[in-house]
Amino acid sequence: MSEESILRVEGLVTQFSTDRGLVKAVDGISFTLHRGETLGIVGESGSGKSVTNLSILRLVQSPPGNIAAGKVLFQGQDLLQASEEDVRLLRGKNISMIFQDPLTSLNPVLKVSIQIAEAIQLHHGLRRKAAKAKAVEMMKLIGIPDAERRADDYPHQFSGGMRQRIMIAMALSCNPDILIADEPTTALDVTIQAQILELIKNLSAKDRTAVILITHDLGVVAGMCDTVCVMYAGRIVERAPVDELFYDPKHPYTRGLLDSIPSVDLSGPDRLYSIPGAPPNLIDMPDACPFAPRCSSVMEVCTKAMPPETVLDAATARSVRCWLHTKEIKNA
Amino acid sequence: MKSNRLIRNPIAMTGITIIGLYLLVILVSTFWLPFDPVDMDIDHLLEGPSLATGHLFGTDEFGRDILSRIMKGTSISLIISIAATALGAIVGTTMGTWAGYLGGRWDHALMRVADVMFSFPSLLLAIFIMAILGEKTYNVVIAIGIVYIPQFARISRGAILTIKSSEFIKAARSNGASSTFILRKHLLPNILVPLIVQISLSLSVAILLESSLSFLGLGVQPPAPSWGNMLSSARKVMVLAPWTAIYPGLAIVFLVLGFNLLGDGLRDILDPRLRNVR
Repeated sequence: MSEESILRVEGLVTQFSTDRGLVKAVDGISFTLHRGETLGIVGESGSGKSVTNLSILRLVQSPPGNIAAGKVLFQGQDLLQASEEDVRLLRGKNISMIFQDPLTSLNPVLKVSIQIAEAIQLHHGLRRKAAKAKAVEMMKLIGIPDAERRADDYPHQFSGGMRQRIMIAMALSCNPDILIADEPTTALDVTIQAQILELIKNLSAKDRTAVILITHDLGVVAGMCDTVCVMYAGRIVERAPVDELFYDPKHPYTRGLLDSIPSVDLSGPDRLYSIPGAPPNLIDMPDACPFAPRCSSVMEVCTKAMPPETVLDAATARSVRCWLHTKEIKNA
Repeated sequence: MKSNRLIRNPIAMTGITIIGLYLLVILVSTFWLPFDPVDMDIDHLLEGPSLATGHLFGTDEFGRDILSRIMKGTSISLIISIAATALGAIVGTTMGTWAGYLGGRWDHALMRVADVMFSFPSLLLAIFIMAILGEKTYNVVIAIGIVYIPQFARISRGAILTIKSSEFIKAARSNGASSTFILRKHLLPNILVPLIVQISLSLSVAILLESSLSFLGLGVQPPAPSWGNMLSSARKVMVLAPWTAIYPGLAIVFLVLGFNLLGDGLRDILDPRLRNVR
């Protein structure tokens, strides 16, 4: 990718201290995001997708959460070293977020126009009237019919899809450089999903906004993303351009995920495929590949040591974290 | 919509009407009183209510007109009640919301102090504070206000705790909102309902507390009229002249009733669980 990089995450470690021990929710994540790129982060529930992104904006509740190591470089500035105030000023202005559930992500007692205009007011100090005009403009942009009249409505007067549009309007109101969408369509039905994704795609393309799309829906990834990171147990196990991931998955876990997509083709097996076993407990993880107990091509080395990240193609930043693809073992 | 529900709620409207009448009395009393409330009249001691003398509610043991004293006392009682409630609500809510929002050590410390204050009956605590501050009218405001602080702190803290982990608070933070902004714009409007109800009930209790303090001689000092100190002086002559006790007593009863009805009505109107319930 020739575009300039806008966000670089290096070796990010986020831990939660619980009564039963230290949970490494994110364990050494690195990735680079370029301007205009859409990066998909895929994984099962609890694989650390959301925590990764909350860590980028330093929104992890602390305690119990704690960002133990790593760097988050936004335009060269390390957000993990910056002051709370500096990070606060970036939130919503340069990096903004869309949350999963539009039903609970809007304040029930505030008019939607006030909420949409919130970021603009916070960062540009607009007067109430000007901010409201901007909110109406945003509502038109995201396709809410009769925007002038509806600006004074409250969230419960909108449908789920409309509320998610309002969330998008909130997030994009300051033209951020990066939009983090944390499972933006999970709570919506399928037809609305497509509309919302299309909206995110069009709006981000217009301003060359980089998007981090967190999802567990590979169909969404195929339609939206340029690059995909597959996460498992707090680590990125495979990173690939979207086409390569679908046509040539390297990690057994990625293969399992792809096989788990239900097919409408009737000639397939009668039962739906699922990866056997459950994700590991993240407390006191042994020094081994966390996927080994569920892996169909498990080898002896997998249970003895953590596989290093192997770069397969430096140009496309394609990499995999699996002993199957590690040269030293193959040669040995 | 909300004002409609208020008008259609008979309980709240009765309360508002009663309070409105008292406000009218205050308004009238600033321009006109039947007699001077502190003017003694040796010729008319302990006279019963009568149209002929013009003393509609009778006179007390100094010959002062009871109606005039009640009217004058209305503004004193209401002002003390409103000021004390405002003091308690503002300080208590501020402390409670910050404690609830920040949590941790501050929260613990504050709530233990509130627990200690709660373990005293309100009147006892008010007497205690009055004893420290001295018997001045404005000290009554401070004493009742201090009694109210832990009540408001606890209510607002509880309400904050239930909503501070909401998604929309997280969303506001991701929008770059500061803690102060979140408290002011997102949390406070969400806890307004229990606060409004508490305020209206506190106003009525403040009337009672003020009367009790004045009755005990700790509140409003004679000759300035207050319903409490009128009852206090009536105590000695009550059997002889029951009107000296009955009318100030009724004044207290109806105003407290008015605030309580308003509070109950507001709770019904504002509680979303009771909305649209007939």
